[in-house]
Amino acid sequence: MLRGEDEDASELKIGEDFLKAKCLMNSEVAILLEHRYDQMKQMSGDSTPLPQVFEKSLQYVKCFSRFTNQGSVKQVRDRYQLAEFELAVIGNLCPETVEEAKAIVPSLKTKGRGHDDEAVERLLNDLLMIKKFE
Amino acid sequence: MFFHIVLERNMQLDPRYFSNNLRENLVTQLMEDVNKGICSSQHGVVVAITGIENIGKGLIVNGTRFASFPVRYQCVVCRPFKGEILEAVVTMVNKMGFFAEAGPVQIFVSNHLIPDDMEFQCGDMPIYTTSDGLIKIQIDSEVRLKIIGTQVDRTQIFCVGTIKDDFLGVINHPASV
Repeated sequence: MLRGEDEDASELKIGEDFLKAKCLMNSEVAILLEHRYDQMKQMSGDSTPLPQVFEKSLQYVKCFSRFTNQGSVKQVRDRYQLAEFELAVIGNLCPETVEEAKAIVPSLKTKGRGHDDEAVERLLNDLLMIKKFE
Repeated sequence: MFFHIVLERNMQLDPRYFSNNLRENLVTQLMEDVNKGICSSQHGVVVAITGIENIGKGLIVNGTRFASFPVRYQCVVCRPFKGEILEAVVTMVNKMGFFAEAGPVQIFVSNHLIPDDMEFQCGDMPIYTTSDGLIKIQIDSEVRLKIIGTQVDRTQIFCVGTIKDDFLGVINHPASV
């Protein structure tokens, strides 16, 4: 188990469990939680109050969603060999320049991963295209 | 950050619920626990259950009448990490700093970790603002911040953050310009 002092998302030290787990972008969480909300409304009707954690999460992901087309975003991930966590951060924050992308996902700069400036720029352009045409 | 993971939990069930509906009763009890708030420092806070993978055999707990069932379930969890950069909505501003919320997670940014060119102005609407008034942090402002520490109690996650690094601070949406 990863100890508190060892964890550091900027170096992708988030523990085996989470590196292997499915990391969700806000847009994906919005779809999941909306679906669950509809199920809950059907089962218990409008009168039952929603749990606070659920309601706050749903409000947050709806507010901060950037994409609606998840399939294309996943293709970008496979093409550029990013960790799920890195892709989710980029997908949530939508950096506009290579400098910004490397500042918000410092693990991209790690030597030997093959992510030079050109590769990062191509990735950002791909994401921008997806956003424009979805 | 939100993840979709599989967790396991031991659910204790009273014998009055041992019937044809035992499985449903276990699931209902699990849902109620989630609604009250399941939180751990390892996995974060459980937001919603998406499916039940497996319910193991029940074992009587020594010294009690309850039986304990190991339940494996898939769920969406919210787990902030130290070093993670995310966006949040400001909920309170005071001279010590400001509080923000990112879903179920509360974050505090101390005034020491707000850029030096921003100053606190008290009044009807307390804000942090630059001297030219172009950049303001107030209630309902959206900010991008970096988590520098997390603290978990039984039902909630609390974080400390900073906006003093590059590309952090108030988010300017094109629509609002």
